[in-house]
Amino acid sequence: MSGPNVATLAWRNLWRNRRRTLLTLGSIVFGVFLAVVFTAMQDRNWKDMIDLAARLGGGHVSLQHPEYLDTPTLTRTVVRGEEIEAALDGEGRRIARAVDRIVGPTMLATAGENFSAAFIAFDPEAEDETTLSILEALDEGSALEPGDRDGVILGHRLASNLGMELGDKVVYTLTDRNGEIVSGLARLRGTLRTNAPTVDGGFCLLPIGTVRDLLGYGEDEATMVAVFLEDQRRSGGVAGRLDRALGETVAALPWNTSQPQLAAFIALKVGGAVVMEILIAVLVAAGIFNTMFVSVMERLREFGIMLAIGWSPRRLFRLIMMESAWLAVLGLAGAFLITLGPYVYLSSTGLDLTAVYGGTVEVAGVGLDPVLKVGIFPRNAVLIGLFAVVATLASGIYPAWRAGRVQPVETIKVV
Amino acid sequence: MGEGPVISLRDVSKVYRQGSVDIHALRDLSMDVEPGEFTVICGPSGSGKTTMLNLIGALDSATSGHVVLEGRELGSLNRKELSELRRDRIGFVFQAYNLMPVLTAYENAEMVLWVQGVDGRTRRERVMGLLEQVGLKGMEDRRPSELSGGQQQRVAIARAIASNPAVVLADEPTANVDSETAETLLGLMEELNREQGVTFLFSTHDPQVMERARRVVRLVDGNVASDERR
Repeated sequence: MSGPNVATLAWRNLWRNRRRTLLTLGSIVFGVFLAVVFTAMQDRNWKDMIDLAARLGGGHVSLQHPEYLDTPTLTRTVVRGEEIEAALDGEGRRIARAVDRIVGPTMLATAGENFSAAFIAFDPEAEDETTLSILEALDEGSALEPGDRDGVILGHRLASNLGMELGDKVVYTLTDRNGEIVSGLARLRGTLRTNAPTVDGGFCLLPIGTVRDLLGYGEDEATMVAVFLEDQRRSGGVAGRLDRALGETVAALPWNTSQPQLAAFIALKVGGAVVMEILIAVLVAAGIFNTMFVSVMERLREFGIMLAIGWSPRRLFRLIMMESAWLAVLGLAGAFLITLGPYVYLSSTGLDLTAVYGGTVEVAGVGLDPVLKVGIFPRNAVLIGLFAVVATLASGIYPAWRAGRVQPVETIKVV
Repeated sequence: MGEGPVISLRDVSKVYRQGSVDIHALRDLSMDVEPGEFTVICGPSGSGKTTMLNLIGALDSATSGHVVLEGRELGSLNRKELSELRRDRIGFVFQAYNLMPVLTAYENAEMVLWVQGVDGRTRRERVMGLLEQVGLKGMEDRRPSELSGGQQQRVAIARAIASNPAVVLADEPTANVDSETAETLLGLMEELNREQGVTFLFSTHDPQVMERARRVVRLVDGNVASDERR
């Protein structure tokens, strides 16, 4: 037979009012569940958006002419020479891939129609869907093959507006580095269907070799080198180092600088999410505080007795804090069990929101998958767990202090 | 136990303020309790019994005068020292038993020793012996809700004397039990007083208790009206 200790006593006290304890645990579990799912949605959503934007635009880090960002013309180029290669090698495994692209405006004309469009000229041999996400949206026909010098892929609505079928010819017109109008002839190899109006109605893909020749570029010349990282969260650091290494002739810009609209959108969403998460945390903490406080106030007489027979206020404080600690441990364990199943499902299968959005969602020119998936950054998961523990313990501090301030003579009657 | 009275009250007054009115609960009360006494404090409601035991139990402080327990002036002790004094030198038996509902009979009786930091083996020996002494052998694992009123009060008595206190203050210890149980409890406390020299100070209206006391102190209007030794 062994006597009680503070942990045992706290555990038993917790279950004196089973319903209240279960309700408190429920609020912790629900709060953590909400925070994890909410944060995991944000983390995954933003990661996907940034990756998509990087794959559609200039990578996680874009190497470009220092004035290209302000005035993106085809006359402002970079040459991927030894200096750039050395700088990229210096980043080691942080860089997954770096590809050359020429990006700009063009005019497309068929016998009966002409439309303006944005184009990306890329190397079909060096790129696939992992760096150029738009290729995933290939609807009809085929992608550009390595060595294909006269192929073009158009947004399906643009092709339709031009009255084109697969194999039909189209003339695309560009302004070269000398300000001269140059034209190329291409055949329609495939069409893209993203449901994003800017892509479907005004976008095309061209082979970079042909475009270089038309524009009079050198072999390694492009408007940008798109650098893809293993982890997009490192884009700021990598861009800074590359920028310093490359001097004044080449600017290295992280995705949030080269795509300020998307960065602003994400910053806005992050701010909103933080406010929402703080709100959830405050509500959960208030619930825990309330139950802890009521639990203490109901036991004032008991605490008076304990103080009368020799308990110190510090020991009483420890007892109540131990009750809070049990709540935190049980709450976290419960949250883990409750959250695991839905998290695994949402991260692997996801929720298909096609019926809600009617196809791909476009944000700041970036098309998003309508299947909602989650994926939390480990650091955020740890932070949520820590916050739950700290909030639960913090909720117990005042009630624990209050318990120690009980005046025995006021709560019990000796005679 | 040292020489001299275990409890000494000298010119003790206690004044409560209710709004703009001063209530004199005790008026210059003086009284000693010697070691090993079995004393009853009685008197009408409002006579100061509660206040007196609160002061002796270090639960409240006197407005003036001196309350001394085993030679220590309670008014000079800080909160921590008072807490330790209650833990080590004073036992409480309450009218409503006031056991911890989540603890077993054994754990309730053991609690003071645990708080004192007594080692497990010594605690076990002491508590098992006490529970046997108060007639609860075999009921160690029962919680208060599984014990009768009399049994709960026995646990409370075991808890009160577990640390060998200088005095046990008993608040109407028989008020919530039938006369047969009251007789048994009184017999038990008498036995502890006689055989172990435990000093008991009761507050009661129960004639049964007064009959068995060896000293009866009657309070009227906050002072000692009579002090009868038998």
